[in-house]
Amino acid sequence: MPLRLRQFVALATATLLEGMQQPAALLLLLACVLLTALTPVFQFHSLGEEGRLARDSGLAYMLVFGLILAVAVASSTLAAEIERGTAAAALSKPVPRPLFLAGKYAGVLTLVAILWFAALLATLLAERASDHFVAVGDELGTRADRWTILSSLLAPVVALATAGILNFRRCARFGVAAFLGIPLALATALLLAGCYNRFDHLVWYHPDLNLRVMAAAVLILLALALLTALATALATRLRSGSTLVLCALVLGLGLTGDLWTGHAAWSWRGLLGGLLPNLQNFWMCDALADGGRIPWHYVGSAAVYAAVWSALALGAGMLALRNRDMG
Amino acid sequence: MNSPIIETTGLCKVFRDFWQRPKVEAVAGLDLQVQRGEIFGLLGPNGSGKSTTIKLLLGLLHPTAGTIRVLGCPPTDVAAKARIGYLPEVSHLHAFLTPRETLHYYGSLFGLDAGTCRERTEALLDMVDLRHAANRSVGEFSKGMARRVGLAQALINNPDLLILDEPTSGLDPVACREVKDLVRLLAKAGKTVLMTSHLLADVEDVSDRVAILHAGRLQAEGRVADLLRRPDAVRFLVEGLDAETADAIRRDLEQRTHHAVVLDHPAMDLETYFLQVVARAAHRDHLTTHFQPAAFLAAAKEKPEVRDQKSEVSSQQAD
Repeated sequence: MPLRLRQFVALATATLLEGMQQPAALLLLLACVLLTALTPVFQFHSLGEEGRLARDSGLAYMLVFGLILAVAVASSTLAAEIERGTAAAALSKPVPRPLFLAGKYAGVLTLVAILWFAALLATLLAERASDHFVAVGDELGTRADRWTILSSLLAPVVALATAGILNFRRCARFGVAAFLGIPLALATALLLAGCYNRFDHLVWYHPDLNLRVMAAAVLILLALALLTALATALATRLRSGSTLVLCALVLGLGLTGDLWTGHAAWSWRGLLGGLLPNLQNFWMCDALADGGRIPWHYVGSAAVYAAVWSALALGAGMLALRNRDMG
Repeated sequence: MNSPIIETTGLCKVFRDFWQRPKVEAVAGLDLQVQRGEIFGLLGPNGSGKSTTIKLLLGLLHPTAGTIRVLGCPPTDVAAKARIGYLPEVSHLHAFLTPRETLHYYGSLFGLDAGTCRERTEALLDMVDLRHAANRSVGEFSKGMARRVGLAQALINNPDLLILDEPTSGLDPVACREVKDLVRLLAKAGKTVLMTSHLLADVEDVSDRVAILHAGRLQAEGRVADLLRRPDAVRFLVEGLDAETADAIRRDLEQRTHHAVVLDHPAMDLETYFLQVVARAAHRDHLTTHFQPAAFLAAAKEKPEVRDQKSEVSSQQAD
């Protein structure tokens, strides 16, 4: 393996491990998954479409919790490491500063992607578990998929218990085992969901999942990649609180991006539109309503947009880190 | 002609506040030269600029003025850093990693291949006597144990230049002595060592040359023996001299020199006495403790990268 690639992998892996070890990361993952899994239980309105509330809520949790995780981990692994001196210890080795930042970004993004994956599985399960109108025999009305709700809620519990056992028996890191175990347990629940229907009957494999969600979820992952790049870049100079406030501001203004586009470049709205990423491009849940689909070529265009903004943010971060005193 | 391993000319570092106003001048016009194979001690009270100087040499801080050459390159040169081992003043380690993972991590940053990294890790774990704790998180370690991990990571790349910032900080006297022995061994193997310490005896024991800083300025520099020698006084050391003869000699000397002559009994220093007591106790209890640098050097001697250390061991044995 080439030297720079080996250094990049080492930095990213250490960042990922450190991120997974943080209690806040596990709490955010648990909160995201459990809130999504509980949506079908507390569903008082269908928003005019079966499963829509669960789907939209799941995607919203995915974005919000992903952003908080990105900011929290980027701040703690970069801003705190610079303050503590751990970054200086790494940069006293033959590691170029841009590579150091890129490795940190990759580690944080991988962590965010694991949360995103768990949130996606929970959203797919929640949408399937939501009340659906059924008319079979004498039964006429809405019916929730009780087993899927139960398995969605049990999956994190099983993952935590397994992590505890692994920690006790094999001294495995609890945080890492739990963080990786939760998406694994949810994937198992998703696979098992294909073996029964909402009438509690065993069936030949039929997952009954709304896979149209995938494209919307990929768009959110792209938004998270962009915001992670921004958080990583800001963490080279700012502390956690300031980074969170600025990222939340960019998220808020970015989600209202359509208000800032289409104006003259010299007007304040035009200027804002040019300086901020239009995150509305990545929030396409409404396009899924009533059987709608998000075309994959649109996702491709959004990926290019996210890549350009991420590169710009990381480039600014590298410039900020280049002349920063470490000590 | 041998060029210095470290050379600074007119080195200045001014720390500034948020508004870019000068806050403190940590290093002021420092001219230093450290030669190949030398153990160089950098001394000074707190806030004298020792650690700042080291961070400037490593490219972690940017100088306000002056030039720095380390191993013939500017301090920001990434390739030169591959030949430097650095032990920071505080062991900045990832708390969640075990010592073995820590050494693998730093080995990867140096681009060591997996086999070499594994072998050096195991040898260094033996050397710093941490094999028994190799699978515990560094965050659970005492300061002294963390210091040993820090020292091991500084050696993972078999460096040509070793920069040690307070290497004996947090270590017990036995481990202190073993660190000093290790520094001597490395210097004999042709490595250059730059070290700072608040414990003057540590620096005096091992350094060939020292520089004393105060308020960021160089106050004194030279060979330890030259700096400490009193050419205006002479000391005789005689064994088996009875008190009557000693007194007669003293009177005779006073008559000849017309100065007061002091007679006393030489005493060993506390460190030597402490080490003797511990060694006796360990021998009695059949225990071995602390660092085993010879084991690390022996394990490494078959490696071409550590050929220098092999010759060093031989010379040590010949000694």
